[in-house]
Amino acid sequence: MSTASNIATIARREYLVRVRTRSFVLGTALLVIGVLVIAFLPLIVRQLDRVNPTKIAVVASEPGLAQTAAGTLSGVLNAPTGTGIPDPGAPPDFVISVVPDVAAGRRAVVDGTYGALLSLERQASGQLAFTLYTNEPSTGRTAALTRQAATAMAVADRLDTLGVKAADQTALFAPAEFAVTWPDPAKTDPTRDVAGAMGQDMLAFGMTILIFMIVIMYGNWIAMSVVEEKSSRVMEVVLNAATPLQLLAGKVFGVGAVACTQYAAVVLGGGAALLLQGTVAQLVLGTGGGAVDLPQGLTPALLLAFGVYGLLGFLLYATLFAAAGSLVSRQEDVNAAVMPLTLLSTAGYMIGVYAAMGLIDIRAGWVVGLTMVPFLAPFMMLGRISIGAALPWEIVLSLVLLVAMLAVALWVAARIYAVGVLLYGSRPGARVVWRLLREGM
Amino acid sequence: MTLVIDGLRKRFGEVLALDGVSFAVHPGEVFGFLGANGAGKTTTMRIVLGLMKADEGSVSWNGEPARSWPRRTWGYMPEERGLYLRMPVIDQLVHFAALYGVPRRKAREEALAWLERFRIADLADRRAETLSKGNQQKVQYVATMLQDPDVLLMDEPFVGLDPVNVALLKSAFLELRDAGKTLVFSTHQLEQAEALCDSVAIIDHGRIVASGSTRDVRRSTGRQAVRIATSSDDGLDWLAALPECTVTRRGRDYTELRVAAGLDPQVILRGALDRGEEVLRFEVTDPSLEDVFVERVGALDPGEEATLSAVGARA
Repeated sequence: MSTASNIATIARREYLVRVRTRSFVLGTALLVIGVLVIAFLPLIVRQLDRVNPTKIAVVASEPGLAQTAAGTLSGVLNAPTGTGIPDPGAPPDFVISVVPDVAAGRRAVVDGTYGALLSLERQASGQLAFTLYTNEPSTGRTAALTRQAATAMAVADRLDTLGVKAADQTALFAPAEFAVTWPDPAKTDPTRDVAGAMGQDMLAFGMTILIFMIVIMYGNWIAMSVVEEKSSRVMEVVLNAATPLQLLAGKVFGVGAVACTQYAAVVLGGGAALLLQGTVAQLVLGTGGGAVDLPQGLTPALLLAFGVYGLLGFLLYATLFAAAGSLVSRQEDVNAAVMPLTLLSTAGYMIGVYAAMGLIDIRAGWVVGLTMVPFLAPFMMLGRISIGAALPWEIVLSLVLLVAMLAVALWVAARIYAVGVLLYGSRPGARVVWRLLREGM
Repeated sequence: MTLVIDGLRKRFGEVLALDGVSFAVHPGEVFGFLGANGAGKTTTMRIVLGLMKADEGSVSWNGEPARSWPRRTWGYMPEERGLYLRMPVIDQLVHFAALYGVPRRKAREEALAWLERFRIADLADRRAETLSKGNQQKVQYVATMLQDPDVLLMDEPFVGLDPVNVALLKSAFLELRDAGKTLVFSTHQLEQAEALCDSVAIIDHGRIVASGSTRDVRRSTGRQAVRIATSSDDGLDWLAALPECTVTRRGRDYTELRVAAGLDPQVILRGALDRGEEVLRFEVTDPSLEDVFVERVGALDPGEEATLSAVGARA
C-alpha cells in the first residue's frame, strides 16, 4: 500500500485506541474542570470576599482620633490594588468600626467578632504609637496594609502638628506620575504597563509549561506503546505490512492528534469560560459584576509562535522518544532509555521558565545562544517573544535550525527504529546503537 | 512460482547465525522448516520477509528478488501472538487488512465470516488478551486470510494448541495448499511435519543438513526401519548378534530395528522363520523424520529456551 495510506491507517489506530480509553476520557474531563476552576477563580474569590468582609475595630486614647483613623484605614485597606478586577459596585473588603476600649476590643477579636483590633496611643513625645491585635500572621495582608495606613496616619498627625491644613494634605499625598517604558527609543509599541507586562510573562510561562507537558507526557506515551508492540511481537506482523518509517510516522501523528484533541478540549473550555465570565458574573454577583477583560498580551503572533514551537518541539521529541523506546523490550526499561531526552527537555524548560519569570536575564548572551539550540528553543523562545526581546532573524534562525534538526532526528530515529523494533534481550549500549546507525540492519 | 533461498549468511556479532542456508519451495507445497530452538529458523524467515537484511545471499520468488514483489505477497504468523492485546478482535482484523489495502467494510464482512467458520464469532468484540492461546492463533490466521498472501510463512504455528485446534488449522493449511498457495512453517514437532509436509529442510547451527521431499529426506540416511512382532517374547534376542541391526524400540506390540544400508531386511524375516518363530508382523519402512533428525543433528532438547530471536543477546 502507499506510504500515505499506511501512515493514515496506523495513525488512525493509534488515535482511536487512545481516545477510547477510560483514562483518556477521565483525564481530559479533569483537565477541563481544572481550567474552568482557574478561569472562574477570580469570580469565586470575589464571591467569597463579598460574603465575608474582614472586620477591623479601632480604639484610640483621644476622642476624635479613632474616627479619623477609621476613615484613613478604610481608605488604605479598600484602595484598588491595580492587579485586581475593578469593581466599583462591590461591597468593601474591609469594614472598619470604632470600639470604646482596648480590653473589650481584644475580647471581641478573640471570640471572632473582629478580625483585628488597631489601638492608637499618644506617647509622651507627642508621637502616635500603633498596636495591632490579631490572630492572623504578622506578615499577612491585613497587617501589611494596616502598617501602611499607620504610617500615613502618623505623617498626617505630624503635618497637623506643623499646621498644614487638611486640604493641602490631600495634595501632598496625591500619587506621582510614574511610567515604565522600553529602553530602545525606536520601540514604542505595545504600550507598556505593569499589569500588561505581568500578564505577558505569565502567558509565556504557562505556554512553556504546556509545551513541556505535551513533550514529556506524550513522548513517554509513544515510547511505551513501541515497547508494548515489541513485547507482544505484533511488531513483526505490522512490519510485514508497513515500513518502519511509516510505522514511526503513523505513531507520532496519531499520538500528536490525541494531544491536539486533549488540548483543544482544554482551550475550548477555557475560552468558553472567559467569554461567559461576564454573564456568569452578572448572574452570581448581580449588576455590580462588571465585564472581564481577556488576558493582556495574548496576541495572534504569540499564539502562532506557541503553535509552531509546540508542534515542532513535539515532533522532534516524539520521533526520538519512539526511537529510544524501540531499543528496549520491557516496560521497566523505558524510563532509562528515554532519560537523555527527559534531561534535555527538562533543562530547556527550567532555563526557559526562569528566564520568563525574570530570575535570569532573558537578554543575556548565553540565554540567546541557547534559544538557537533546536532541543531547547521550544521551551525558551516564547518567553523572549512575549516580551518582545526576540529579534525577527533570531526567530527565523531558530525555526530553520529546529526544522533541520527534525529532519536529522527523523533519519536517525527511522534507522534506530528499523533495527531496534526487532531487537530483543538486554538493553544495548551506546556502542551497539552507533553500530546500528552506521550499518543499518 | 518457486521460492528460492540461496546462500544466506547472517552474523550477529560473534555468532554466525546463518551459514549458507539454501533451499527451494515449490508452489502449492507445504514446506516444513525443521530445527532445534536457536538453529536459525526465525532468522531465515525474517530475512525472507525482509524484516532483516542478510549479510550475503538472496531470496527470490518466481525468479524475481523477493523485495520486488508487493508486501501483500508475503504473509507471516510469528510464534508468539502477533496481536494488539488490548484491541478488540474485529477492530484489529480490519486494521491489519487495511494495511494491505483491503477496504474496511469488505474486511469487516470477511473477517466476521472467517470468525464464524472458526466458531469464534462471539469473540469478535472481545479484547485479544482475553482469548485463549488457541483462539488467538485462529485470529492471527484470519488476519492472514484477509491479506490473502501467495506465500505464507508461519513460525511454530502448532505450539501450545490442543488437538482439536491443531486439526482445524491443519485442514485450513491443506485447503490453502490446494488453492495453489505456498506454505512454509517452522517446527520442532517432527510428527506434525511428517504428517503435513510435502517437503522439508532440516537446519542445524545455521546450516541446512538435509532438504528435499519428505520421502527423500527420510530415505537420505540409506537406512531402513523394520518393525517385527513374533509369538514368543524372547524370540528376537538373536538380533543383538547382528552388527547391522540396532534395536530402537522394544515394544509390547512390536520391536523396531534400525537396519544399516548393507543388510537386506529380508534376512531378518528369514532368520526369524528359520528359528521356528511365528511372525505376526513384518514391516519394512523408511526411518521417521525424527530418526533422521536425531542422526543428523542429535536429540532435540525440549527444555532449550528460544535464543535466536534475541539479536541483542547475540550482539
